[in-house]
Formats: sequence, structure tokens, C-alpha cells
Amino acid sequence: MSREALQESLSAVMDNEADELELRRVLSAVDDTETRATWSRYQVARAAMHKELLLPKLDIASAVSAALAEEATPVKVARGPWRTLGRLAVAASVTVAVLAGVRLYNQDEITGAQLAAQQPAQPGLNMPQVQGPAVLAGYSESAEQPTGPMANGVLQGQSGWQDQRLPGYLRQHAQEAAVKGTESALPYARAASLENR
Amino acid sequence: MRALPFIPLLLGVGMAMPALAANSSTDAADWLNRLAKAEQQQSYQGTFVYERNGSFSTHDIWHRVQDGKVSERLLQLDGPAQEVVRVDGQTQCVSGTLVQGVGNATESSARVLDPLKLMNWYDLSVAGHSRVAGRDVTIITLRPRDQHRYAFEIHLDDKTALPLKSLLINDKEQLLERFQFTRLDTADIPDDAELRPSGNCKPVAQSVARSSESVAGWRSDWLPPGFELINSSVRKDPAGKGAVSSLMYDDGLARFSVFLEAVDGAAGADVRTQLGPTVAVSRRLTTPKGEVMVTVVGEIPIGTAERVALSMRAQDAQASQ
Repeated sequence: MSREALQESLSAVMDNEADELELRRVLSAVDDTETRATWSRYQVARAAMHKELLLPKLDIASAVSAALAEEATPVKVARGPWRTLGRLAVAASVTVAVLAGVRLYNQDEITGAQLAAQQPAQPGLNMPQVQGPAVLAGYSESAEQPTGPMANGVLQGQSGWQDQRLPGYLRQHAQEAAVKGTESALPYARAASLENR
Repeated sequence: MRALPFIPLLLGVGMAMPALAANSSTDAADWLNRLAKAEQQQSYQGTFVYERNGSFSTHDIWHRVQDGKVSERLLQLDGPAQEVVRVDGQTQCVSGTLVQGVGNATESSARVLDPLKLMNWYDLSVAGHSRVAGRDVTIITLRPRDQHRYAFEIHLDDKTALPLKSLLINDKEQLLERFQFTRLDTADIPDDAELRPSGNCKPVAQSVARSSESVAGWRSDWLPPGFELINSSVRKDPAGKGAVSSLMYDDGLARFSVFLEAVDGAAGADVRTQLGPTVAVSRRLTTPKGEVMVTVVGEIPIGTAERVALSMRAQDAQASQ
């Protein structure tokens, strides 16, 4: 693999913009001393750009590796069936906890976003937005709640330029498409859905 | 050793095979051809639902083909009684307010589904069979060949090839919108009373030729492959301060619009947002004509919309000759 590609990946990882492939590439090359040197140089540059405090020679990873290498290997204990079962139980409970945690965390985030989105009071009932009705197996409903002037799936008032312009542009796009397209009723339905509250 | 010269040839064949395999099935193309004709040949009436994030609505449709004349009326059944009446591809009346300037295309170029063109940008295939609105359907999928458009899944009536269900799916296999008939009647031809607009339906002015304004003065440095300009215009903005240029592009299936307007100093921040299938991206650009707000709205992935917004350039006088 070329040096430049690796450096680009390093830079992406640092900026938190790396995809999975790049992350793997960096992780597999991280034992190489030259890579580590590049990484710490990047850290210095980044810290300088962001005006952050920096300990340039701090290399936790190598310190941990060294400590691990020095540690005496524990004596192998005879393994009984209960021990294996116990391990399985621990692994299972960790999995459950992680899954539950992720789920709760996501729910918090979603309800939070919805509450925020529904703050601009609208006439009538404020019903909580359901994630979406059941769909074909294999298609997941979007878990990402959009934000901005259309957070609730309808055009909402927002201060400033977008308030005046975006709804009009969306409408114009939908209506132009409906007037120009002839393929089906779909563009009409799209345009109509913009007007519903 | 004598085989050596043939190795590149073998490799070439090996590389060509996946490309051929990725090509679209002719069956699927035949179905789309039938679909393109179905609306012009088949009378029907029915009820469909439309669903996207945050919106669910039901509509009735009456569609009559008589002596080569296609009449169509749509009426929303829940909430506001939105209505549209069309005759031969020309919108006769709509309820509610049309954005100022939206009207029938002067050139009246009917956009017809063209499978041969679509095959350049989508892989067409027959995905199987199912039932919609109590009728047997064949499922056609259009998978994008790049990341600049969404996938469609269209369920076509086995008897008439009418589209009974249409799904829009993004690259994460998330459903963005659903259009689906719940009832379809092809036996009873809609009568005059059913096609007559109600009092709510306001006539649409047949737009006069505004060819002098049709050059919008903007071009795009980059467009997603396959997208072509199908409409451009310049309008007064509603506040009456300046002009808004608008450009519409399509790839034969998906569409997006680009709006450009001059902004003064303070106004406007960058926006990226998504409303079901439709994204909206606003970007502020500094051009020789001054500060301009570029807004891209359409049924395309948000990254593509962003790239289009950043690629808009003022067309210089020479180029527009």
C-alpha cells in the first residue's frame, strides 16, 4: 500500500471522517514506528490548529503494549464446565446490556428531537410522530430524525431566510414536477403531501 | 509459453463478464415499455395511498381514455380536499395555491419513460411477483448504477401494466416513500360527472410563451451522470426584490431543481435537510455577480445535491450566445 494512501487515511481518522476501510488500514499499520511518528506529527499539527493543549511525547498505546509484554502470563487454570457457562453468561449479559443501552440511548435522542421539533405550537393535537408504519421486511425505516425546517415531516416556521424561501422552493419543485411529469400520480401525491398538516 | 499472449485476452473477457451480468434484463425493459403505454391506453379508477416520513394521505383517481383523449382527476380524501384535473397532459385546474409562475410547459414535451435511456443509469430487473390491491403484479426493480440516485421498486399490474405500487429506497435500504393502490377498477370507465372538477378547483392559466426569459444565466460545472436540463426560468421572487432563476434536471426518472437568488450581506445560512424522498440543500456562493444563495431541491441523495449546489457557475455573456 502506498505511503500517501496511508497518510490520507491517518488524516481522515484524525478528523473523524474515516470510513471502515480506512480505519482498518490505519489499525493494521499502527504497529509500524514510522506510522506512529506520522500520527504524532499530525496530532501536533492538529493541536496547533485548534489551539489545544498537547503532550507531544505521550504515547499511551506503546506504553500499554510494553506493560502487557512485561506482565507474567497467568498460569493456566483447569477449566470446568461451570466456568465456561459462567463466561457465556457474562458475555450474554454484556450483549444484552449493550443492546438495551443503545436502544435506550437512541430512543432518548429521538424523543428529544421530536419534542424540540414540536415546540413551535401548532393548532390541534400534537401527536407523537411514530417511527413509521410497518413496511416490507428488508426495508428499515429511517432511524435518523431530520432536523431543520422540516423536522416533523411538514414545513415548519423557522426564523430567517430559510423560513421565507425553502417552503416555497419545495412547493415549486413538487408542482413543476407534477405539472411536467406524466408518468403517474406520484408527483401529485408528493406535491399534495407538502400541503398537509 | 505459447499461452502467454492470450492471458491479457482472457483477463479482458473475465473483466467484461461482470459488466454484462450487471446489464438490465430485457423482460424488465419490456414491462417498462408496457407501463409507458398503459397510461395512454387504459381507463381506470381507484384509490391509492401516499406515505413518506411524517405524512400519510389517501387519494381517489379517475382516469379515462376516450377517442385518444386522456382525462384524469385526482382528489385527496383526507384533510384538505386537494384536487387536480388534467386533460391530455395539460393541467386544467388545481385546488390550493400554485406557486406563482408554475404552469403548463409551453413546448409540452411529455416525458415518457424510456427504458433504453434508464438502463444507462439503473439496472432493471424483474424481482418477482406479488399482489397489490387484490391484483397480481410483477415487481420491477431499478437499482442505481452509481451513488447519485435512489432505487425504485415498481409493482406493475399483470393485466394492464399500470403501476400499482412504487417504492423509493435509498442506499441504506431505507424506504423513503410509498405510493400504493388499495383499490383498482379497470372495468368501469369513469363518467363525465366523476371527471368534472369541483368548485374548489381553480383553473390554471395556460402559460403564455415566456421564451425571452427562459435562459437562466447559470450553468453547472458538474452534474450527476445522465441528468439533463429539462426546464429553466427566471421569476420575480415573491417579496418582489430580485429575481429567482430556476433550473430543473432529470435522468428520465428522478428530478431535481436548482434555485438561485442574489442575497445581501446578512441573510442566509447553509442548510441541509430531508423531507421524505426530497432533500433540500442551500449553499451560499460568491460569484462575479455577487453573493448568491443556491438551493437544490429534489429526489436525489443529499451528497449529490450538495455537490450540485457547489458546482453552479454564472454563465458568462459569451457562453450564453
